Amino acid sequence: MMAFIKQQAPQEVSEDERTTARDFHGLSAELNSEHATARRWAVRDLVSFPQASEVLVARLKIEEDASVRTAILSSLAQLGDKTAMNGLVTCLRSDEASLRNEAIEVLKAIPDEVGPIINALLNDSDSDVRIFTINILESLRHEHVEQWLMSVIDNDDQVNVCATAVDLLSEVGSELSVQSLMNLKQRFANEPYICFSVDLALKRIQQGEH
Amino acid sequence: MTSITISEEDFSKFKEFFYRKTGMQFENSKRYFVDKRLIERIEATNSGSFRSYFVMLRFETTGEELQKLVNLMTVNETYFFREEYQFKCLVDSILPEIVRKKTDDSPIRIWSVPSSSGEEAYSIAIYLLEHWSGIDRWDVEIISSDIDTEIISQAKKGHYSPRSVQNLPDKILHKYFTYKNEGYQICRDLQQAVEFTRVNIMEPLEVRSYRNMDVIFCRNLLIYFDDVSRRYAAEMFFDAMKAGGFVCLGHSESMSRISSLFRVCKFPEAIVYQKPLESR
Repeated sequence: MMAFIKQQAPQEVSEDERTTARDFHGLSAELNSEHATARRWAVRDLVSFPQASEVLVARLKIEEDASVRTAILSSLAQLGDKTAMNGLVTCLRSDEASLRNEAIEVLKAIPDEVGPIINALLNDSDSDVRIFTINILESLRHEHVEQWLMSVIDNDDQVNVCATAVDLLSEVGSELSVQSLMNLKQRFANEPYICFSVDLALKRIQQGEH
Repeated sequence: MTSITISEEDFSKFKEFFYRKTGMQFENSKRYFVDKRLIERIEATNSGSFRSYFVMLRFETTGEELQKLVNLMTVNETYFFREEYQFKCLVDSILPEIVRKKTDDSPIRIWSVPSSSGEEAYSIAIYLLEHWSGIDRWDVEIISSDIDTEIISQAKKGHYSPRSVQNLPDKILHKYFTYKNEGYQICRDLQQAVEFTRVNIMEPLEVRSYRNMDVIFCRNLLIYFDDVSRRYAAEMFFDAMKAGGFVCLGHSESMSRISSLFRVCKFPEAIVYQKPLESR
């Protein structure tokens, strides 16, 4: 006798998403539900509303459940408007490494939306944000990655930011980057790590071109 | 004859990149397999060298080339008892753990997605009957879903080519199948054991009724998704599962590269991913 059964009735839905109307106001209210499941579904369903970024960003600031925060980041990535992008970028300034790293992963996945704000991020006054931006470039599908990295090593005064950019250029740089790399070596002639990594990058570029 | 070569360093770089993007990992023993396909794509795209190709692969805006490479690197073929170690893990580790924590007599729910032509879902049913004593004590629901209605019809019919069943021991083959029309027809009891449904796992409205799953098998599907979709699918699974439930991915896939929602569980037979018990 087999003990396999088939579902006799739809699974019971409890403590979650069906308690309020699924319109914008209902879903926005649901973001304050005491149940994380209900909040996650509200976050997902809000993607259908173009004006949703503001309420999602507001919720992100106070949300304590990691799974709901994850859902908010994904929904913001799908919305991709200015408010959503500002919300994601704000996470780069968070003291919480898990939120920051998750935001970096999400931003890497949306090159069309991230592309237009990269220059601003690379000129941010906070050097950590500039480094995290280079972390985003590390696998951003965008044709300007090399140019952005070149602009970093041409202009940034912070040695750690430049070092991060050189490390990535050693993997993805072409002949185009050679002059900028040599200039950087001169600019930071007293920084042994920069000199070492520039030499390594130049060697790798040279090897790769042949 | 091609003059393009893949150096040790190229292979390491590629391996790391490909893992990051798809969660797929290649052992060094797969070197020949990977090199051959890489060279094929380097030539097809007129890239000239590994480095040029690799840069293009990393930064092309459409992601098309990566998808082509993924298709080449995966063997999209399904058959009975494929990656059998995960079924062993199901009966020897996962189900005992689930049963130990169960507080009621509700059925154990297993979701196999995508169903493809049904081999995985039927393999699960056979494995439970053959190797899990708990089947006498617990009711089990096996639900198997796919986006493709034609493949679901095929799964429901349960008629398979000799190639599909070639991994099955003779004893199992004779017990659950009959030879018919140059293939093997699965028995009626097993056909009735699995509920096949159509679902697009990227569509919230469709997935919403899939819930309280104890185990989800989702093998070799997410590798075909882009990063955002992969995250989204992982989040959908999270809500489709009971707290403490398990997700089994393909042997070359890794949830850790997709989402931080799940806990890695290293069982003796396989690595699987658990929705934390404390999840809400």
